[in-house]
Amino acid sequence: MILTADERWNLIEKISNKVVTFGKFKHTLKDALGELTVKPLTGIPIAIAVLYGFWSVFCSFAGTLFTDGFFVKLFDEHFLPWIQSVFPGEGGWFYYIFVGDPAADNCFEAFGVLTSGLFVAIGVVLPAIFIFYLMMALLEDVGYMPRLAVLIDTIFHKIGLHGYAIVPSILALGCNVPAVTATRILETKKQRFIMMTLLAIFIPCGAQLGIMQEVIPESVGIVLLYLIFGYFLFGFILNKITPGKSPEILIDVPPYQKPLWNNIARKLRMRLAGFLKVAVPFVLFGCAIVNILYLTGTIDWLARALTPLLTGWFGVPGETVGPLIAAFLRKDLAVAQLGAIEMSKYQMITSVVLVSIYFPCVATFVMLLKEGWKNLLGSLAVLAAVIFLYGGLINLIWTLLGVQ
Amino acid sequence: MNERIGRVYFGVLGIITLIFGITNLIVTLGGNDFSWGILEISSDMFRGGWGGLIVISAGLFYLSSLKNFSEIHQFSRALMASILIWILAGTDIFVRITESIPGGEEGPWINSLEGFLSTYAPPYQPVIFLLPFSLIILFFVSKIKKD
Repeated sequence: MILTADERWNLIEKISNKVVTFGKFKHTLKDALGELTVKPLTGIPIAIAVLYGFWSVFCSFAGTLFTDGFFVKLFDEHFLPWIQSVFPGEGGWFYYIFVGDPAADNCFEAFGVLTSGLFVAIGVVLPAIFIFYLMMALLEDVGYMPRLAVLIDTIFHKIGLHGYAIVPSILALGCNVPAVTATRILETKKQRFIMMTLLAIFIPCGAQLGIMQEVIPESVGIVLLYLIFGYFLFGFILNKITPGKSPEILIDVPPYQKPLWNNIARKLRMRLAGFLKVAVPFVLFGCAIVNILYLTGTIDWLARALTPLLTGWFGVPGETVGPLIAAFLRKDLAVAQLGAIEMSKYQMITSVVLVSIYFPCVATFVMLLKEGWKNLLGSLAVLAAVIFLYGGLINLIWTLLGVQ
Repeated sequence: MNERIGRVYFGVLGIITLIFGITNLIVTLGGNDFSWGILEISSDMFRGGWGGLIVISAGLFYLSSLKNFSEIHQFSRALMASILIWILAGTDIFVRITESIPGGEEGPWINSLEGFLSTYAPPYQPVIFLLPFSLIILFFVSKIKKD
């Protein structure tokens, strides 16, 4: 049966009269709260409060309760002396790789696969990742994340992205690996390239944040400030020089709702399993590789060769070459290594920033490769320029301030 | 009647909240912790500085909700102000909980009862004092839900 245009419209009217209820839309309290969180004047203080709560809970749960409260004691007072006494072949290379320094009295300084490796992976990183993903899932389920995306949309447009870039950016604060995958929510190649490059360079993962909180608690704020500034500065430059489009988006903002605990538990389980499978083996493997490089004298040779660049251009001690190599395998491990090197507070801040913006960890590197080798090469070229320029700039700032 | 009580109550609470927030910022800028009886204002940048900014925002939210208080959009500002205080006070209490459980470097694995309880002793941050007063908003929420 073929209907004319008029007949079709009549049919539509009949159907809509039966199925659509017309009335005046009445705002609920949830709607009104939702509006407050997306308007800049009210939304920004709310976003600051949410991030305040996020960071406060993150530090006290992972740092105060688990790492400092239980794991430091467990590893340093019980596990380390035990493994130092029962592991065979003290003084040999096998012992050095797996247990590390036999005279060490804490797991941060021992630097063996079974001492520092296990301590970093289980004692520091696991609690940090757990609480990070738990809170992240909670904010997603409540419906706050899309509102944060709307709120921050204008700022992200300055660097060629849009509000949804907040999802990979915040995910990267947990682990860069799922964050690289999450860049697929951005529409164009240009946006994905900018996002992947920025998160690989400027966003420290939860593991690294956890270690930073342990090693340099008083300077974490300054390090983060440098990274945030670099994120927007180089994002702005990348937006100018990268060809391609940065289109607008329409975001469907769901109403606020009570979180579903099943949902949260499932997300948490999935993300933690991913972390344990990908990151933990790399921490242990990283420890082993760095120890082998120390044993073969490679690190000493590199330190001597790179000392003019490290001390002259970046203003950090030559010994930081070891952590910089370790950073390719795990950045958290590298920050832990930096903690054992003697240097000034400002050199330490520069070193931690360098470790952060230096090469992405190998797990992220593999993910970037999976997203396309052209993107990867582009990101690496940007990275080389960034570390040289930004590292030098930080040193220049300290020199001008007279603290270096 | 409820609207008038609400306006007066949250007007006073808004002013007190604002004063606490400004004091927080002044103490942070001064660089020394401030103690007065069981009240303590921290001077560190995180709790004093950022925390102070959030408390000021909460105070301003309360005060901006007073005109036409029972209208849903205006009322939501007062509710949001209370939520901001709950976030700050909640994290402060959470920090105390995490500090109270472990026994410390030299102590046993789990804290003693005395040590556990002493963590919750005064002095307290200003938001802890604001917390019970901010909960009154729940009464107004229940009234709105009924209506």
